[in-house]
Amino acid sequence: MTYQRNISRYISRIAISLLLLMGQQTVFAQGFLKLERDSVPLFRGFAVSADLVGAAQMMLGDYGQYEGALRLNLHDQYFPIVEVGYGKASHENDAVTHITYRTKAPYFRVGVDVNIMKKKHTGNRIFAGVRYAYTNYKVDISEPATQDPVWQWDAATDVKGLRLYQHWAEVLFGIDAKVAGPLHLGWSVRYRMRMSHNDNQIGQAWYVPGYGLQDTGNLGATFNVSIDI
Amino acid sequence: MQLRRVALWMMAAVGFAACSSIDCPIQTTVEVNYVLNDTLKDTLTVLTKRADRQDTILLNRGVGLTKFALPMSSGQPVDTLVFQIVNKQKAMTVDTVWIKKDDIPHFESVDCATHFFHHITQVSATHVAIDTLFILNPSVTYDISAKHIEIHFKNSH
Repeated sequence: MTYQRNISRYISRIAISLLLLMGQQTVFAQGFLKLERDSVPLFRGFAVSADLVGAAQMMLGDYGQYEGALRLNLHDQYFPIVEVGYGKASHENDAVTHITYRTKAPYFRVGVDVNIMKKKHTGNRIFAGVRYAYTNYKVDISEPATQDPVWQWDAATDVKGLRLYQHWAEVLFGIDAKVAGPLHLGWSVRYRMRMSHNDNQIGQAWYVPGYGLQDTGNLGATFNVSIDI
Repeated sequence: MQLRRVALWMMAAVGFAACSSIDCPIQTTVEVNYVLNDTLKDTLTVLTKRADRQDTILLNRGVGLTKFALPMSSGQPVDTLVFQIVNKQKAMTVDTVWIKKDDIPHFESVDCATHFFHHITQVSATHVAIDTLFILNPSVTYDISAKHIEIHFKNSH
């Protein structure tokens, strides 16, 4: 009896909280998505940017990506964006497992950022955004022969040119600050979700170009240098 | 003041992005699960020949069996297993079982050793004590609950 009362109270609390949240979000969405009415034109130009985090990963570690983006500025409020990059991993002869993993492939993301700052035309921006991303890549995986513990035959892993793909989505939050003239610096934190993927029959890929490592958390980050055109 | 706040946010973001963990599977046993149509009255021993041509025992004197699990080799296309069945009068019957399969490397991460999964393509036997055997599930993986091969022994066993 006590359990039933607790369960029903718990469910009621969740239901009321969800209703309040949904109501609040509807009000928020009406103001949030409305284009501001002022004398500033809709089309405000383009910006090109480069990500420094992926490049640093590439230079300092055994995987990373070079990535650039083209962003459209609509009224300093909406920023449709295309991000294109080239991801590469070359993990040679792991110190513990002796596994070698290689891949290199291009990838792209498309999406939109929304400037959620109250004063939108200052040049500084706080973004919330979404992305859809895709990559199609080949992997090489090899491991030196190890002895079967029962039969004592040597068995090696040598997978070459195995074609894989992945679709994923990202939800991001970021800032973009005007530094000098057309130069902006900014960063973004991204939560990534795999939508569909083909890891063929190998199990799972380790590094996916543009997505990063599969066996770490779902969070990623970029640090962008951008120039308004 | 504002710059300091931005710097703190950046450090937090980099900290989040730098977090990593190694999640290698805990259960890495890859075995073939055999099921029998009826409880085996006799004693069963299963042997195979190693690379050095020496015999090795995979199952030692199993009594009253209804199921058992045996390892599968990596690196050779066919496993040859010798089933020795000893009845209560100590008379021995020997069957040879051949299991043809494909070895599939299973990769999780560069931090985790690769294991081999298998796909059974064909099973056959000499049919001295074994009546029939057939494939229930050809995919041999970490799934220890899967039943892969069913064996029917002749009535006298």
